[in-house]
Amino acid sequence: MMSKNIFAIIIIGLALSIWSCEQPYTPPVNEDEQELVVEGYIEAGDETNPTFVLVTRSLPFVTEVDAAAFEKLFISDAIVTVNDGSNLVTLTPLCLKDLPEEIRKQAATVLGIDPNNTTINICAYIDLFDQIDRKLGGKYDLNVKVGSQLLTASTTIPNFVGVDSFRWAQPPGEPSDTLAQLLVTITDPVGKNYYRYLTQINDENLIAPFTSVTDDAFFDGKNFEFPLQKAERRTADLDPNTFGLFLRGDSVTVKWATIDKAHFDFWNTRDNAANSGGPFSSYIRIKTNITGGQGIWGGYAVGYYRLKCPEL
Amino acid sequence: MPRKLSSRAYMKKNYITLLLLIVVSLAYGQKFTISGYVNDKNTGETLIGANVIDTQNENIGTSTNAYGFYSLTLPAGKHIIAVSYLGYQTDVYEINLTADTKHNFDLSEGLLMDEVVVTSTKDDARKNVESTQMGSIDIPIEEIKKLPVLFGEVDILKVLQLLPGVLSAGEGTSGFYVRGGGPDQNLLLLDEAVVYNSGHLLGFFSVFNSDAIKKTTLIKGGMPAQYGGRLSSVIDIQMKEGNNQKYAAEGGIGIISSRLTFEGPIVKDKSSFIVSGRRTYALDLAQPFLKGGNFESTNYYFYDLNTKLNYKFSDKDRIFFSAYFGRDVFKFRQPKRDFFFDLPYGNSTATLRWNHVFSDKLFFNASAIYNDYQFSFRGGQDQFIFKLFSGVKDWNGKLDFDYFLNNVHSIKYGLNFTYHTLTPNTAQANNGDVDFNTGFLPKYGQETAIYIQDDIKVSNNFSLNAGLRGVMFSQLGPYTSKVSGEEFGRLEPAITYTGLEPRMSFRYGLSKNTSIKGGVTMANQFLHLVSNSASTLPTDVWVPSTETVRPQRSIQYATGYFQNFQDDKYETSIEVYYKTLKNQIDYADDYVNDITKEVEDAFVYGKGRAYGAEFFLKKAKGKLNGWIGYTLSKTERSFDGIEGGRWYPAVYDRRHDLSIVGNYQLTKKLEIGGAFIFGTGKWYTPTKGFFFTEQTLNLYYGPRNSERLPSYHRMDLSLNYTPNPDSKRKWKGSWNFSVYNVYNRKNPFFINFETNTDFNSGTTSIEGNQITIFPIIPSITYNFKWNQ
Repeated sequence: MMSKNIFAIIIIGLALSIWSCEQPYTPPVNEDEQELVVEGYIEAGDETNPTFVLVTRSLPFVTEVDAAAFEKLFISDAIVTVNDGSNLVTLTPLCLKDLPEEIRKQAATVLGIDPNNTTINICAYIDLFDQIDRKLGGKYDLNVKVGSQLLTASTTIPNFVGVDSFRWAQPPGEPSDTLAQLLVTITDPVGKNYYRYLTQINDENLIAPFTSVTDDAFFDGKNFEFPLQKAERRTADLDPNTFGLFLRGDSVTVKWATIDKAHFDFWNTRDNAANSGGPFSSYIRIKTNITGGQGIWGGYAVGYYRLKCPEL
Repeated sequence: MPRKLSSRAYMKKNYITLLLLIVVSLAYGQKFTISGYVNDKNTGETLIGANVIDTQNENIGTSTNAYGFYSLTLPAGKHIIAVSYLGYQTDVYEINLTADTKHNFDLSEGLLMDEVVVTSTKDDARKNVESTQMGSIDIPIEEIKKLPVLFGEVDILKVLQLLPGVLSAGEGTSGFYVRGGGPDQNLLLLDEAVVYNSGHLLGFFSVFNSDAIKKTTLIKGGMPAQYGGRLSSVIDIQMKEGNNQKYAAEGGIGIISSRLTFEGPIVKDKSSFIVSGRRTYALDLAQPFLKGGNFESTNYYFYDLNTKLNYKFSDKDRIFFSAYFGRDVFKFRQPKRDFFFDLPYGNSTATLRWNHVFSDKLFFNASAIYNDYQFSFRGGQDQFIFKLFSGVKDWNGKLDFDYFLNNVHSIKYGLNFTYHTLTPNTAQANNGDVDFNTGFLPKYGQETAIYIQDDIKVSNNFSLNAGLRGVMFSQLGPYTSKVSGEEFGRLEPAITYTGLEPRMSFRYGLSKNTSIKGGVTMANQFLHLVSNSASTLPTDVWVPSTETVRPQRSIQYATGYFQNFQDDKYETSIEVYYKTLKNQIDYADDYVNDITKEVEDAFVYGKGRAYGAEFFLKKAKGKLNGWIGYTLSKTERSFDGIEGGRWYPAVYDRRHDLSIVGNYQLTKKLEIGGAFIFGTGKWYTPTKGFFFTEQTLNLYYGPRNSERLPSYHRMDLSLNYTPNPDSKRKWKGSWNFSVYNVYNRKNPFFINFETNTDFNSGTTSIEGNQITIFPIIPSITYNFKWNQ
């Protein structure tokens, strides 16, 4: 975790900046070894997204993917069902281009893409009529049939542990007129709990920070305050002086969720895999809960908190 | 008293003595023992592995032990004894043995080998065909110092990597794999003390300061019974004792570090000291540039300190004290964010030894050894403080006996007891008034070993080294069983493992210059270090065998053909080996480093096998010297917890590995050296494809180690220039110019993928980059010597 990554990254960063050189590398391309990928979420809480599932194919190593090739990654003829213990619900396939403008924007937002600038046609499977009985403590089995291939997964929505309070503070180090740190306090119930959060700034999309999950190993059963980081896109250039801090005046939405162990394992291995790489960490295989493919079928007990970062 | 002979006198005496000898031995049949030490004449340093031979009978001879002591039992009468050591003049003495005799030989450094007309003298090259030991190589430090270096730093461990059967763990690192074994399976000894972490700066430099070192022995094959606790190899490094004749200093000033050694007599002929230090300063020099920036006061450096003292009470009793202390210090500062961490880590060792000569035939050594490796991290931001520490600490007592029984049997036996304390990665965090502590308790263990080995000359052609080592390891309390919940009190064994380790090697001489050898070695290993990275990191933690972590075990079979050519000018060998490994340890491939769990809870267990052939050609004498080593090998692992037990190539597997090392004396002032290295590319786990979650591309992987990086090769050159080689002045300087990777081969160090996705427009690009961290690197070092 912390020490190892920081240690390797910084020392090597120093060394690399002095000595290293890069040249392009093309790995062997295995077109036919691509796998089916499921990304689906089911939420319970006061305010929730509808249940949806994306079914895609993985990409082999390719240098460029254009819009046409990208759209082909989305599989629109799968049969997707969710069993909530009493109902077997078949999700409705929907492609963005088939939807009326207003619904299309809503759908894009749910899928986490920019509703105003999206030109791409994505197909998803949605519980359009909210037939699934979504509740805290529920268990949900997913079946995805693509041609003769069957992918299965199971997830739960654990009990919700919400945020007690938020606090805006001066960032550590040099005082700042423009930046603030967001601190959150929760009361962790005794026993193993897993948390995930995402942040949204103004009208941008909700995105997850680099380390988006935590278990309660450090604060089991305690009332605990810790900083939440402003999420940044992995592709953005990072400024070490503002990283993780919020701009004063920003509207901030925090999506705070409790998740189960398998769901935690997926994001934990994924975040670590994405944050490491490089010379001193070997590969980390992302721990999927999908049998027969890659990806995640994840349950969220979720709360949305809308905050305003105060001006000084 | 023995009388030193000139070579001509020796020639004349030869036949007469031979006649006399036959007469005398026939008449009396009585035997006496000559024993003592072999020393360097100028410095008083004892010489390890020097040969003491009865020239009339090539098969009667011995070599000095690790303390420079020899004992040779011969029939009464006159003998011509030759004493030789690589890089020294061979001395020939006439002795008339009428009683047990003590004699110390003093050899002078020099290159006069060809002026001495002794053809039957054994020197180091003869060991290639005549020693029973196989898979063992001694490297005098002077040879190592002539080779090209990286950043001007002479590095013993990097030179070892140029030998067949020893593979570099990665570009530029001092870590290495021996015959398919992991990096934790090498026993690194510095004056008998175990060194748990051999690398500075993530392994780019070894912790062994070459100026403080006398001799390095690598044993990769038939491990003698006196060594144990590791499966793959022994690297036995002896520190210098210090000049007991006069004061001397030695040092070097390089681009990233400098070193200084000072030695001299405390009481002439009786007692001496040596102190040697080294420190890097590359980032110290960068401090002014960091001032005012985001990372002001961030620094990194490492240093080593070696010291040794000895006192000779008499020819019978001598004590030695040696110690090492080294630290890497990494300070990270980001003052504008109030973020910092300090990360010091390193080894310390201390060895106290007492040599006692019980009789002309029985040499005894008792050692008390302390060693530790400590890693700590302390960092924080604002109110949040995080601390992490781990380490290994050993107290070790050893008794070793060398019994030079007669010319047929040379016996070693001894006892070794070690008390281990292993602190797992223990984390503490504090955020205002909330405290957290993983609360992991140290684990304790005791390791006992008893051994006996006999070097037996069965006949002129056939000799045998047979040994047996009995080992026992107990995990000791305080400990609470993770399996049964049972509690064990202090020193109470929670679980005990035992093992019998037969060690056997033989040599059969086919002719004067050819022999075949073979051997079997069994070994157990009770301490383990598992790394999920390409090379070991200072953060990797040693763990003991416990009720869940079983000891690693191995059996190695090896055999070889050895031949010398042209009066021992060329030594060649071909060795083949097959090794099986049990209870190997690794992490599953979805392992995420989690400081809130003990590492052994994430281990998976499996087995391994390794086999290969090693070819070696060495020329140790003459203006041109060097070696060619080539290894053809295969190493595999199988873990039930990794892809259902599929046998896959280990990280330690390299099909071809070639090293060509040469050194040529152009003139007295100029010497050039070079090395060429070629190796099959390292295995890695390939990216099979990419998939999206939350609009971000993730990598997913094919089977473990199913692709190879491009082949590795490079060439290094060096030039040593000594302006005044014959100067009689007290100060002598020389320059070393080295160029690492002369033709700037871009060897891949790792591969990095950069992905860029715009989910809104549906465009994605993926860029693969192969990163090279060591392009062509020149360096310059000024070395000096000063003598009183």
